[in-house]
Amino acid sequence: MKRAHRKSHLLLWLLLGPLMFAIIALAVLNRPAAPINDALPDTLIEDTR
Amino acid sequence: MSHDYKAVQWTPFKKRFDTWMLGGVLVYLIGFIAISYSTQPDGDSFTPIQALMRATGTLAFLMLTFILCIGPLARITDRFKPFLYNRRHLGVTTFLIALVHAALVMLWYHGFAETNPFVSLFISNPRYDSLSGFPFEVLGLGALFIMFVMAATSHDFWNANLGPGLWKALHMGVYVAYALLIAHVALGAIQFEKSPAYVALLAAGAGLVAALHLGTGLASLRRSARPEADGWLKVAAVADMEEARAKIVRPAAGEAIAVFRDGNKISAVSNVCRHQGGPLGEGKIVDGCITCPWHGFQYRMEDGQSPPPFTEKIATYATRIVDDVVYVNPQPNAPGTQQAPSQIGATK
Repeated sequence: MKRAHRKSHLLLWLLLGPLMFAIIALAVLNRPAAPINDALPDTLIEDTR
Repeated sequence: MSHDYKAVQWTPFKKRFDTWMLGGVLVYLIGFIAISYSTQPDGDSFTPIQALMRATGTLAFLMLTFILCIGPLARITDRFKPFLYNRRHLGVTTFLIALVHAALVMLWYHGFAETNPFVSLFISNPRYDSLSGFPFEVLGLGALFIMFVMAATSHDFWNANLGPGLWKALHMGVYVAYALLIAHVALGAIQFEKSPAYVALLAAGAGLVAALHLGTGLASLRRSARPEADGWLKVAAVADMEEARAKIVRPAAGEAIAVFRDGNKISAVSNVCRHQGGPLGEGKIVDGCITCPWHGFQYRMEDGQSPPPFTEKIATYATRIVDDVVYVNPQPNAPGTQQAPSQIGATK
């Protein structure tokens, strides 16, 4: 890769890496006791009850 | 092996690779569905479509994670070079699997209402201000769209017409697609799958990909030793120059330089392949030509030109050997310029 691409590649991962972990952490910490998302499959909702 | 869109041809190796890849996909899908059914608690009504939905979703995630690990791993060990060479086929296959997953979701959850399924996808769950109830399908659709653009422009036709720089920049969008996919899984499946194994798998995938890219990215930005008084850069001792391989030198300005040894000859060329910017210094000399590790583009050591009938040219650099130490002049010659190699054992 050219130097410019290497730099933009690194900058992108310096941004995306922490962002991905922040999303995972927030998603896990905010998990509801019971599913509330209407889009979830019915059988899966029943599984957790 | 040329800078046009006929470059990467079907080879027996590629055919074998694709056969194994498609076999692996089938084994995973069948195995996943079989295990889902065999471990299903009594009384559950787990449908085949739901099982296939999960199987294709998890497979697309695992494959994209693997694909994004190939580049950095290939810089660490040669074992991953064959995957690098066939990465585009893996990418297109991953897109097709993700497309099947998305189609099943649209059919199953949005296909039976009077509302257009795509409209339904965006309006059925308006909880964009909620984390646990976020319409995570939209994130998956965003990732799928980016993967579609990647797959549609993956052929060398587009590389030749867009130019390697723009093509490469465009295809870096796959990293954004992966971040969207992580968010899609975190705000979707992780919200109802209570097993810590799912969280661990998601975090491990994201952590591995991010660590590999950050690690190799930081390593590639490292500068070489400071130039000598006359501006030349020290490469390595002759004894440390591996046969048919290169040392990569990174000057303070300009592109990296690949310094190759071929028998008793030392030559230096640009480290950037004309095809897709692949790191030539991580390749090797095959049939007397420097061969790019990404897609096999070749250049002659002595003048940086691709052998006829191909027409690609890269910059060459002057080298010298003093006291059994190899040096390179960081000032590039024009692409395709003849440059006599340094001879090991000769005085200069």
